[in-house]
Amino acid sequence: MYHKQRHLGQSGCLLCLLSMEIALFILYPIALYRPRMILPALGLHGALIGAAAIQYGRIPLIGLHDTLGFLAFSIGASFAIAGWNRKRGLFSYITIPVLLVFLTGSVVSPVMAGPLPPVLKTIWFELHVILSFIAYALFALGAVFGILSLATKDRLAEADQYRVVLLGYVLFSLAMFFGAIWAYLAWGTYWLWTPKELWTTIVWLFYGLYLHARLVQGWTGKPVAWMGIAGFVIVLFTYVGVGLLMKSSHEF
Amino acid sequence: MPSAAYLMKNFFLSLKTTVWTLLGLVVLFFIGSYLMPVHRNIFQPMNDLLLFQWVAGVAAENPFQTWWFFLSLAALVLLAINTIVCSIQAIKIRWSRADFLRRISPQVVHAGFLFILFAHLLGAAWGYKISGGMLKGTFARLPENRALYLRDIRVEADDRGFPKDWSADVLLFENNERVAMGTLGPNKPLFYQGAGIYLKSFELDPRPVALLMITRDPGTAWAFTGGILFVLGSAALLVLKWKQR
Repeated sequence: MYHKQRHLGQSGCLLCLLSMEIALFILYPIALYRPRMILPALGLHGALIGAAAIQYGRIPLIGLHDTLGFLAFSIGASFAIAGWNRKRGLFSYITIPVLLVFLTGSVVSPVMAGPLPPVLKTIWFELHVILSFIAYALFALGAVFGILSLATKDRLAEADQYRVVLLGYVLFSLAMFFGAIWAYLAWGTYWLWTPKELWTTIVWLFYGLYLHARLVQGWTGKPVAWMGIAGFVIVLFTYVGVGLLMKSSHEF
Repeated sequence: MPSAAYLMKNFFLSLKTTVWTLLGLVVLFFIGSYLMPVHRNIFQPMNDLLLFQWVAGVAAENPFQTWWFFLSLAALVLLAINTIVCSIQAIKIRWSRADFLRRISPQVVHAGFLFILFAHLLGAAWGYKISGGMLKGTFARLPENRALYLRDIRVEADDRGFPKDWSADVLLFENNERVAMGTLGPNKPLFYQGAGIYLKSFELDPRPVALLMITRDPGTAWAFTGGILFVLGSAALLVLKWKQR
């Protein structure tokens, strides 16, 4: 149903789009100097996402190009908020390269141009996907704070990890709720037994485990910091691995 | 020596039970996600039948492929008991010493989780799922003394001839009287007294046929109520923890 093409294959704004994407690779690393200097990169990235939405007449969250780009943007936005008062340090040195890896993945992935398939034309799908990726970005920051906590023995980093994970968990639960409404309207059930749904539940259970483990004696500190890191590995597999390796209702 | 009842109470009240059961579920679902695509013929009917029908008819006969599923059920039962016992205890202890939102929000999250589990239980045991093709202009007999008439199928094509939207007009009869009518489409079912009629797919050649699905899941309202409770409770908890810093 979709044309699979790269930006390079498009005429018209080709040079303009390409130069703006290259500009992101120059602007994002400026945040290594000071986290709040990420704002120009976020502004440009947001404008690119908005332009794609106008061009395709839909939310640009279909396929790896769109979703990896949106994940990079969400990580950037979360980084700006969480790191607003931070100075240059390990927090930036880890987060910005992670963001750039996702951005690179987005740039090299094919663009899914064209309109949405009818089953995806619903606000429930849009809310489900947008909230899922914002939650993924927060889980990514949770992993970064985990590394920070292990490397520097900083108690504040542990507390920050808990806060971003809790926020991510609430948004992820909301995303699952909207996904359930969408599935009920599209397929007549709020739950399907497929590997993707199982992995989504694994993410949900694992972060539920993280939130409970913090209260158990002997699990606080290092084990919980490691769990925050492992959680993001599970998120990555749920997002990329399951989509590539297993068939499910989430193939579009 | 502590009595068995005391040990059991401590076991169900322990947060360690929660943590290890959640970890067990993560591992079991991980195994399940690997086995499901490998044994597609066993797991595919899970979504076509009521879950308990699948358990009795398929899963029980293939224990070497479905053992993770039965262990997951056992773990969920354990987690449900653990959640109920811990919530009751927490309300009893904290009732007098914490502010209302702090003592109630985790219990709202727990209630939401239990509602969702209960919804799955209801949906697994009761209700129905029927699907099949219907020719345009024909009737199909449904459960609960109902019948469905497919009046029309419409397909809209894009510039390249690919279908970009489709719909079907249906009329629903109960005891030979028309009770509902509507247009089905992607994300657009017709609901009547807890039953949903869905247009899954269509064919135009050699004759217009709509692939329809009719479902009734008594757990749906519980699941969505549980979802709302879970999100509200965890959002309240988030606000409290944020303020606490």
